[in-house]
Amino acid sequence: MSPAPQPATPTKFDDVLRLLASPNVRLVTVFGSLDPDRRVRVHYIADVDIRDYCVLDCVAEGAVPSATPVTPAAAWHERELADQFGVQIKDHPDLRPLLFHENWPDGVHPMLGDVANVPAAHREYRFLKVQGAGVCEVAVGPVHAGIIEPGHFRFSVVGDTVLHLELRHFYTHKGTEKLLEGAPVMDAPMLAESVSGDNCFAHAVAYCQAVENALGIPVPPRAHAIRLIGLELERMIAHIADVGALCGDVGFTVPAAYTARIKESLLLLSTRYLGTRFWRGIAVPGGVKRDLADFDAGPFAADVAVAAHDFAVLAQMVLDTPSVQNRFETTGILTREAARDLGVVGPAARASGIKMDVRHDHPYGAYRNLTVEVPHYHYGDVLSRARVRIDETRITTQLITDCLNALPPGAISTSVPSDASGEGFSAVESPRGELGYWVRIREGRVARCHIKSPSFQNWPALPLAMPGNIIADFPLINKSFNLSYSGCDR
Amino acid sequence: MIFDIARRSLQSKSVLIPVESLLGTATGSRMPIVADSRLNRAIAQRVVEACPTSALALESANGRQHLALNYGACIGCGRCIEVGGGAFVAAEKFTHCGVSKTGLVRRWDVENGAEIVADEPAMTAAAAGIRALLGRALNVREVDSGSCNGCEQEIIALTNPYYDLERFGIHFVASPKHADMLLVTGPVTRNMAEALRQTFAVTPSPKLVVAVGACGCSGGIFSGSYAFEGPVDKLVPVDAYIPGCPPTPSMLLTGILRVLQQKFTGTQAAKSATPR
Repeated sequence: MSPAPQPATPTKFDDVLRLLASPNVRLVTVFGSLDPDRRVRVHYIADVDIRDYCVLDCVAEGAVPSATPVTPAAAWHERELADQFGVQIKDHPDLRPLLFHENWPDGVHPMLGDVANVPAAHREYRFLKVQGAGVCEVAVGPVHAGIIEPGHFRFSVVGDTVLHLELRHFYTHKGTEKLLEGAPVMDAPMLAESVSGDNCFAHAVAYCQAVENALGIPVPPRAHAIRLIGLELERMIAHIADVGALCGDVGFTVPAAYTARIKESLLLLSTRYLGTRFWRGIAVPGGVKRDLADFDAGPFAADVAVAAHDFAVLAQMVLDTPSVQNRFETTGILTREAARDLGVVGPAARASGIKMDVRHDHPYGAYRNLTVEVPHYHYGDVLSRARVRIDETRITTQLITDCLNALPPGAISTSVPSDASGEGFSAVESPRGELGYWVRIREGRVARCHIKSPSFQNWPALPLAMPGNIIADFPLINKSFNLSYSGCDR
Repeated sequence: MIFDIARRSLQSKSVLIPVESLLGTATGSRMPIVADSRLNRAIAQRVVEACPTSALALESANGRQHLALNYGACIGCGRCIEVGGGAFVAAEKFTHCGVSKTGLVRRWDVENGAEIVADEPAMTAAAAGIRALLGRALNVREVDSGSCNGCEQEIIALTNPYYDLERFGIHFVASPKHADMLLVTGPVTRNMAEALRQTFAVTPSPKLVVAVGACGCSGGIFSGSYAFEGPVDKLVPVDAYIPGCPPTPSMLLTGILRVLQQKFTGTQAAKSATPR
């Protein structure tokens, strides 16, 4: 990624809104920080012309004009900003609390100061009420039927057909961005890894790259290569598991069990060569902690190829099965317009006709020397999202194998000065899509860290894929997006 | 097509790991242990300072200095292994799963690296014994009280063809009302606290609660957060703890089976162990 341009002076809100309204500009994230005078700065990151990440910041004095009417992608970001920093947002269509539930009192803004010992409270939260003859409400969660994370879904249905779905999340809100404040730069990857446990390596690498951009630290080629292997292996595991889970959700349990087996074989592979199942503790600012021995590269690649072949054969059989086609096709359609408006990223965007992939659009690390193929479909249904994952698994396997066959020699890390300062942003393509970290470092410690997770961006799109579908298809549609609750809630 | 998939599945070789190879195994868990007599005062001091979650502490007892490692707080970051000068290694064998809160702590003499309290009794249960014990039915409800999804990934892995928890008669059920055991992960966030209390309340007695993972045991890396309400035992009574960040499937299995062994071989052993 090219270093993000750093404006010397704050921008005006009008200029930001004008930029966001222009064509070929996609809002990536909105977040706040405190400047040395303890004024709130509102930062906007936008992807301009699929070329540069443009980082802008404005000083919040009084109410801040909402960007949501210009780009609905800003809606949740601005609600989070209001919760974290107590910033007033003008003309936002929905400013209900996002992070804090009914048991939090009003006026809790953790990023402004100490929020220990917050007293108990009983606030009210109002769901949208859908009225009319025969309309029923179905409440699901936060404790779900499967082994999944907590979140609440409120369906308004007529018979089996869903009229409206409203999400209530942030049950797993852990205050991670606040915990990151003050953490030594080298310790923070542990927190980044615990943001979303199945994408932990993507989170750690995104954080490390942001630090490396902020401090101008060069990363040795071998470390870049090992990071690529980890990122792609994580993607492969996630996609294989997702396709299996989709089969499970249409009652097709044999492929579900078979993909679980392939997934486990890859986790055991990581354990064998790196001593960690999910690549925790590997990424560190300046490089990686564990090396892969050159003589292990061949066997590693061979095992990945076996798993990939197994999956490819199975996936083709699944796609050829009429009952699967019947359940997947035309189910849970997310239109291209809706996906674009909400700034949807990752496989969900690619299934709805938006060709975007950070590895292709903003190459980083070892991807700078590669051209990554970006499979995309136009139907926006469950089948398209499954196909994107199946195609990407094939590409991912190739990337891992190529990288293992040409592991660059040399060191795996460079040292990071313990008292450096700077600001930087970096994004990686996690299995769920564009994952960004913005860090401000002061004398070797994180002063502010914002995590833009793909799930935070994509969750608001799920309700738009539901109306007209039957409620029994919800688990399938939800799984086809496969969003992280903890990654969203942080 | 559907029959091709069935054929392919039937023709594939079994990958089931025998229970004897799973119990007490911790490969890939990153849990540190004191490996040998290289431990000394300087190293002990260094590892205590390096530990980001204060899982390591120095204690004095009977004029000796002990290094205490609370596995309930350990996130397996590997700092102690890095700075420990060879005295610490990543554990291949680890049996402190499904233990009491005090059982989560191990102590070593800082002078010679000798372990102070003897290891918890090794797992002796074989597959047949476990089946007799359970009568083929333990229903487990997993409750995520704010976890990062890491523990969930490993709990899901328990059901895959390598670990196949169902071979012991242990099932995951969809409702706490069907459950004998709650497997609670996560530090317990403020937003999840009430849901956890209610889940516990509707689980029929007698019920077992097992806190899973560093977060479940102690809050782990999130214990300093404004959104932290836990750990689990602050909200509901906990019978046993399984440490790890995340605990591997074999650690989870070791823990669950140990809890059962302890609970059912006690006073009510005769009654509970009779096959139904």
